[in-house]
Amino acid sequence: MTKKIIFDTDPGVDDTMALTFALRSPELEVVGVTSVFGNAAGPVTAQNALRLVELEGNGHIPVARGADQAIVLPALELGTEVHGEDGMGNTDPAPPKGKLADVHAAQFIVDTVLANPGEITLVPVGPLTNIALALRLEPKIAELVDEVILMGGAAYVPGNITPLAEANIYHDPHAAQMVFSADWKVTMVGLDVTHQIVMDNARFDKILAADNPAANLLRKIVPCYRNFFDQVYGIGGAVYTHDPSAVAYAIDPGLFEVRQAPIVLETEGRCMGKTIADEEHRWVDYRSTNICVGAQAEAVLDLIVGRLTK
Amino acid sequence: MKRIWIDTDTASDDAVAILMALRWPDEEIIIEGITTVSGNVSLEECTRNALYTIELCGKQVPVYQGAGKPLVREAVFGYFFHGPDGMGGMNYPSPKLEIEENHAVNALIDAIRANPNEFILVTLGPLTNIALALSIAPDLAEKIPMCYVMGGAAATLGNITPAAEFNIYVDPEAAKMVFHSGLPLTMVGWELCRGEANLDDEDIKSVLAMDTVYSKFTVDCNRQAIQTNREWLGEPMLPLPDPITMAIALDSSICTKKGKYYVTVDVESEVTRGMTVVDERGVLEKDANVTVCWAIDVPRWKEALYKTLR
Repeated sequence: MTKKIIFDTDPGVDDTMALTFALRSPELEVVGVTSVFGNAAGPVTAQNALRLVELEGNGHIPVARGADQAIVLPALELGTEVHGEDGMGNTDPAPPKGKLADVHAAQFIVDTVLANPGEITLVPVGPLTNIALALRLEPKIAELVDEVILMGGAAYVPGNITPLAEANIYHDPHAAQMVFSADWKVTMVGLDVTHQIVMDNARFDKILAADNPAANLLRKIVPCYRNFFDQVYGIGGAVYTHDPSAVAYAIDPGLFEVRQAPIVLETEGRCMGKTIADEEHRWVDYRSTNICVGAQAEAVLDLIVGRLTK
Repeated sequence: MKRIWIDTDTASDDAVAILMALRWPDEEIIIEGITTVSGNVSLEECTRNALYTIELCGKQVPVYQGAGKPLVREAVFGYFFHGPDGMGGMNYPSPKLEIEENHAVNALIDAIRANPNEFILVTLGPLTNIALALSIAPDLAEKIPMCYVMGGAAATLGNITPAAEFNIYVDPEAAKMVFHSGLPLTMVGWELCRGEANLDDEDIKSVLAMDTVYSKFTVDCNRQAIQTNREWLGEPMLPLPDPITMAIALDSSICTKKGKYYVTVDVESEVTRGMTVVDERGVLEKDANVTVCWAIDVPRWKEALYKTLR
């Protein structure tokens, strides 16, 4: 049975890989795409999301634009060194043909979930702002969503944007607290696992050598991203597979190893954005999150490469 | 003619504030809508109390139900102050009026966008709905000429804690977000709504002597508040913070001293959670964002109330 997903995204180079991967996977049916600020500014990621659904003939999938900034924190100066000013590696892509849906992303999520009770999996791979707003607009979605599979957080490992925090969560820690504390099934595909899933040069080059619209786009937009990884992590052209790993989990959770603990956010100060695993329920008694801590990395990578080179 | 929108966690003093707006004799007041929020009592009780009050006044106003809990934190209630039903334990009959279908946040966004700069906002509870609306629609900040906020304690005299007033304390993150959203704000703090501004024994006698449905309602639904205020804060008789805020919104000359300052809200400390810190001397050199009321004309505030009760 195909899994219906709403892909919430801030494209973004790895978002591009992840969304294309999802759209090319028969196990998943992308029923909507919602955009959020993050890897680039809100208006930019919205246009990119639209471009990405159109890229391989999926222009019928609605794209709803969401939040331009965090719910509580003031608007951020977003770094552009990873994904470029345009979220597409500074390649100045052509404008999309279609139009955004005439509804805010949060309301789109609410409406879609209410219309498909028990059937929707939310796959947010950016800041969790839209998901949190949807929860507050209609708390009932907590019991009607099948699962939330999110890319973000760092429970037992260091962060990437600060020593403690992962970037998606850091960009809206209050939204993250709302999502992690709600009574629904949440799986966190964070740095604990994505730093173990390293897209090596051979595999990456194989994707880029393919002859399809996704690969043709990726060839243009990845140099900036790859360059950043090389400078910061010195992993020689390889990259950590962040967003596509969340999609891989949606396709085959069996490839991942999870631990369970409620996640508590630090929302202030220099530890802001830290996702704390409260394993013994000392601080909170709400529902545990499935925290991905390991994966059959080779199999995950092969799955991604297989789909993107088709 | 004045058009207003009221956001309220309707318990006893909110009910009196709504009554004042509904029965204001000096000019025509159009209440565009009333949105309810969790605060003094549960969301459903707030909604019920708002509907009952409208019905009592023989009026029709659309009521939209909003956020059932603060943005991030667990709910805090004020049953101890307002009674088990929020209305002094009067157990008024169920109202026949019904709520609208729209969520409060969407209703507010739609109404303001359809009538930009046409009506003022008066908030009598935690700022959760307003924060959510501004988060989904940041453009609202420039489409509302003024938002009168019952909340905070500019002189740092709190009620629920030594530092904080209840409405801001309940959802400090929402308050902080709203305070820094660019929305024009006038803050009516707790310190203005005590002491001489309270209705004392003589005042209550004269209210009861009016012998109208409205005067009786005002004293009855506040009977728990009168008792608790005496036992808990050691203050004489009845404080009416929401009606004072409404009086200022309806007749701004009731505020006799005010100034605009940089004001922020503490969300970090347990001791000063929800404290409204006013940079009166401008030492932080930040842009002023909130107009703070420092004093009210007490006899005129009381007369503003009385003329709606006779």
